[in-house]
Amino acid sequence: MKTNRRHFMKAGMAMSTALLADSALAQDTTLIPSRGPGEMIDSSVTYADRSPFVKDAKMRGSANGLSGGGFTPLQHSRGMVTPSGLHFEVHHSGVPEIDPSEHKLLIHGLVDDEKIFTMEDLLRFPSVSHFHFLECAGNGMGEWMGPRGKTVQQTHGLTSCSEWTGVPLKVLLNELGVRGDPKWLLAEGDDGARMTRSIPIWKAMDDAFLAYAQNGEFLRPEQGFPLRLIVPGFEGNMNVKWIRRLEVGDKPWWTHHENTEYADPRPKDEIRAFSFYMEARSVITSPSGGMKLNGPGFYEISGLGWSGAGTVSKVEISTDDGKTWQGASLQGPVLPKCHTRFTHPWRWDGKETTILSRCTDDTGYTQPTYDEMYKLQGPIGMMHNNAIQKWHVAQDGEITNVR
Amino acid sequence: MFAKHSKIITITAIATSLSFGALYATAQEKYGIGTSVGPDEIAKYDNDIHIDGTGLPEGSGNVALGREIYEYQCALCHGEKLEGVREMGAQTLHEGRRDIKKLPYATSLFDFIRRAMPLTDPGTLSNDEAYGLTAFLLVETGVINDPNLTLDAESVKAIKMPNRDKFIIDPASRFTAKDLEDK
Repeated sequence: MKTNRRHFMKAGMAMSTALLADSALAQDTTLIPSRGPGEMIDSSVTYADRSPFVKDAKMRGSANGLSGGGFTPLQHSRGMVTPSGLHFEVHHSGVPEIDPSEHKLLIHGLVDDEKIFTMEDLLRFPSVSHFHFLECAGNGMGEWMGPRGKTVQQTHGLTSCSEWTGVPLKVLLNELGVRGDPKWLLAEGDDGARMTRSIPIWKAMDDAFLAYAQNGEFLRPEQGFPLRLIVPGFEGNMNVKWIRRLEVGDKPWWTHHENTEYADPRPKDEIRAFSFYMEARSVITSPSGGMKLNGPGFYEISGLGWSGAGTVSKVEISTDDGKTWQGASLQGPVLPKCHTRFTHPWRWDGKETTILSRCTDDTGYTQPTYDEMYKLQGPIGMMHNNAIQKWHVAQDGEITNVR
Repeated sequence: MFAKHSKIITITAIATSLSFGALYATAQEKYGIGTSVGPDEIAKYDNDIHIDGTGLPEGSGNVALGREIYEYQCALCHGEKLEGVREMGAQTLHEGRRDIKKLPYATSLFDFIRRAMPLTDPGTLSNDEAYGLTAFLLVETGVINDPNLTLDAESVKAIKMPNRDKFIIDPASRFTAKDLEDK
């Protein structure tokens, strides 16, 4: 072993001597000199970080330090998965630090057997793993009255996509046995605010699950470590983080977050309640607001489409302000209730224009324009803004949000 | 004791299979994971309030008590007149998303105050204080016109919020109205 190493070092020295000797000659050639050895392999570094040259960052903030969150930098996104560290976050009472060995989940109410589960218990159940987007119901809230965000991070950054792994709610509910007239579940988080939402039981029995892992590792604290609810396709707020309790009941609770906070105001003082679905939506992430095209020529238009009601069946692109539309390529995998990456080859002729995308899902629903949304919702709407996004391309290549 | 329980379980099982079982029951095997708990243990976790008043605790509070608590613990963020202090991240409680007048049920106002407020010290208000704050907010926003209002479990349960019938389930919302039959 020792001999081998000495032999290797000798060879290495011989090689560098040779390189030095040849350096005069090398100057006349195009050969780029070797970098030499890289960073030492540090055995104390056990979780890899990004290249220092990569600066993609969440935009994080809070007026009071406890309620607020962070926006995903969609302008730099590639593929369909959001790195866990860049996943958007919205909090109502800060991020709790929870020791998983002490975390417990109580399921009670209209069940035959009311039970407490430890994390160890939950990890023993049969698991599922699915890619799903999560989108805050208020994603794009600021855009209702006019273009406000400069970048796609500001206009659309409250959507992200991950592989989530955990236990289906139906497995747990069947384990306990539902009884009586169960129609709703109350999900309660273990943050300071003990945030609560009512979940329809049909959704729990369909595809909702309790996730303990995201993108191959245990959840990040700001994503609900050690346990969160995933309610595929429904507004982000219902995907209760740090979940500690599920109560089965016969009526919704009309909790704070589902009465006016996350409901949609309508004309005539009406309020549309329990508007859970995040409807089909798409956005061009590149080129997008704040970028600049470097002269006429070829550009790949790239973006994301998604639907809380099903699978993206097509995304269309217009590069002439909506006069004509062409089908974009769906990069795949194309999965239900999941971000879907689309691309479209584009030769920019150097003239002023706007570029936009619209998404259709497999229920036949097509993403509306702002005019169409106003007809449905009135200009007072705030939540569930899934309107078509336009980016203006100026003659100098500058891209701006014209909404 | 055990015999009595097993009889109840048998009856429940039959009832379940008749009323509901057909819809959701599966042949799933029982994994036998988790720890069964009784009412005492559940009471340590469960303090939510149902819209029919289930869960409302003993105690009472009036507008004067609520006003006192509000001035000391709430006004810094929510503003002296409930107008909201933007720099503290609080919006007005008089209109928009946090309009107290528009709430469908007073039970959820009490529930949220008691579980989530004040922001920096949630869960520390006594039941009397939470009743008092609920009374103060309902009077201050003009929902109830009684400066001497005192609230307790019975009276909170009886409040019919004026906006309740304005809540609609839009047919285009893709949420089936069936799920709300007995809202």
